[in-house]
Amino acid sequence: MKLKQLFKLVLVNIYQNKVRTFLTTLGVIVGTATIFLVVAIGTGGEAQVNEQYSRLSVGTIMVMPAQRGRVVDPLTIKDADMFAQSEHIAHAFPVLQGNGDINYYNFSTRGGFSAIPPGFQSSNNLTMQYGRILEEDDESKRHKYAVLGAELANTLTDGDPAAIVGEKITINRRQFQVVGVYNRIGDAGSGMGYDDSAFIPYTVGEKYLLGTRANPVITVQAADLQAVQPAMDYITNILNETHRAGGAEQFRLMDAGSRLVAAQESARTMSLLLLAVAVVVLVVSGIGIMNVMFVTVKERTREIGTLKAIGAKKREILGQFLIEAVVISLVGGMLGVLIGFFTVPLLKYFELPALPSISGVLLGLMFSVATGVFFGFYPAWKAAELNPIDALRYE
Amino acid sequence: MINNIKCIIDARNIDKIYKNGAEELKVLDDVTLKVWQGDFTAILGPSGSGKSTLMNILGCLDLPTSGQYNLDDLDVLTAGENQLATIRNQKIGFVFQKFNLLPRLNAVQNVMLPLLYRGVDEDEARETAREKLTVLGLDDRLNHRPNELSGGQQQRVAIARAIVGSPNLVLADEPTGNLDSKSSRDAINIFKELNRHGHTIVIITHDAEVAEQVDKVFYIRDGKINETGG
Ligand SMILES: Nc1ncnc2c1ncn2[C@@H]1O[C@H](COP(=O)(O)OP(=O)(O)OP(=O)(O)O)[C@@H](O)[C@H]1O
Ligand SMILES: [Mg+2]
Repeated sequence: MKLKQLFKLVLVNIYQNKVRTFLTTLGVIVGTATIFLVVAIGTGGEAQVNEQYSRLSVGTIMVMPAQRGRVVDPLTIKDADMFAQSEHIAHAFPVLQGNGDINYYNFSTRGGFSAIPPGFQSSNNLTMQYGRILEEDDESKRHKYAVLGAELANTLTDGDPAAIVGEKITINRRQFQVVGVYNRIGDAGSGMGYDDSAFIPYTVGEKYLLGTRANPVITVQAADLQAVQPAMDYITNILNETHRAGGAEQFRLMDAGSRLVAAQESARTMSLLLLAVAVVVLVVSGIGIMNVMFVTVKERTREIGTLKAIGAKKREILGQFLIEAVVISLVGGMLGVLIGFFTVPLLKYFELPALPSISGVLLGLMFSVATGVFFGFYPAWKAAELNPIDALRYE
Repeated sequence: MINNIKCIIDARNIDKIYKNGAEELKVLDDVTLKVWQGDFTAILGPSGSGKSTLMNILGCLDLPTSGQYNLDDLDVLTAGENQLATIRNQKIGFVFQKFNLLPRLNAVQNVMLPLLYRGVDEDEARETAREKLTVLGLDDRLNHRPNELSGGQQQRVAIARAIVGSPNLVLADEPTGNLDSKSSRDAINIFKELNRHGHTIVIITHDAEVAEQVDKVFYIRDGKINETGG
């Protein structure tokens, strides 16, 4: 029999058993929808990670104290200058960070501040929303100026950040004049929370705010991606030489590239986990299909005998029942994908980053068809193996 | 003279033994029979005598325990499964006692099936099926499903399916068993008509009245066959 005819025969059978077909497909519907959504969540998660890290150059290396709190022998601006001399390193900036009360008129908030050399801003993609950046002059003349992160400016002004430029604020009761507000940068994976910070000239921070508690982090930009490893080796050597008291072990070196990879990997692990759940659902639904197909074969045993009597070959019976299983599961798969599509907005509502994708559709359909083939094969084979006379005599 | 007519069924010394545990039941005992091209034949015997068993073997649905069987010069016992399927499709038309129509297909679709299994084009198969059903007086029931047809009509659909592929041999097992006497006579007349058009027909029956209307009768009793009654 031609394949097309076999299909028609199958469709007639399925069409006249709509309810049974639908019940059989329920599991496949759920399984396929799950796979589709898992892929959507996975894609969405990865996109989110990539978007978070897109502003962060993968060549960034952070040199920081290995433990929080006081270091016997803290990093200094001189270390940064020495790092910058390596051919593997484009630039290196020390950053002093602290937390404190930030006041603007009667608004008060607990926030972070960072004392930075002027060059830090351009190399960290800090661009201006209002006002101007911290300049070389501010550094050398120790101006008590501050530039605010977008979020901090928003909080202090209750949503009118432009108004704060030119105004006075206090950080830990020390007065600063706000000269600008940066554009929002997002958590660039630095963990520094730029948007919530106030930025002040490095030396001002060191002398005026922190004093002896100054314990900087140095952000280093490798010359290129290949230079990351040699740069890290170089830094370690310098630290061992210049900080003999505690050696390089007091400090931790972190490069953005490996953090990105780690974040992507954890997103992927999550997807795989969910995918495993979906596959389990499909296997269970596949067993359901197998049951129904066995019942179908039993119910239609005499029919199979008749078909064999009028000339159906083994492979035609096998084909018929296999196609039936596959069509049933494919229908379930398509319904599942459809349901998945409608569920994506719901996930977004719960702030799960879900992104529907072609690969999700294909993977879902592929798995549903595979379920049909795999679990439909045995019953179909049993049907094909039936001896015509036994099938005809079956009551 | 006889050499000009082809031997369709050439069965020799056929035994069929059913084993039930240690017990052996010999249902066919040394059956030998020949049916020639164009014969209109009946196999007559009481219930349990082995008629259906014999028909299943003649129809290549079952194999004998021992003996020899040539169908249209082809040795059935050495044929493979696919070959047997092809033989059933091309050389034999079955009419089953319970009709065995497919319940989800309508009359035309049921009748088309043997042609579709033969690889005939769908349109051509449908046309041929329509013709046969029309000849059998079912032109107004073409799209009805079996459960929408009377017993006699189902019977005619089954006959149409048996002859749609112009097989050499039509085997009918108790074709009148489920019919009243009028439909029964109609059915026999249809077989007569088919025979006049050259179909070789073997009717299996326990009804002596049916046997009276055929050209040749084989009598079967307790698995033994002979050509004279009693
Ligand atoms: N699969 C089987 N296993 C064991 N015994 C069987 C089997 N099929 C048939 N028989 C036995 O073979 C004998 C002949 O059966 P068969 O069906 O050929 O009879 P029949 O002549 O067609 O009878 P009826 O007119 O009632 O249909 C019976 O005694 C039956 O019990
Ligand atoms: Mg019988």
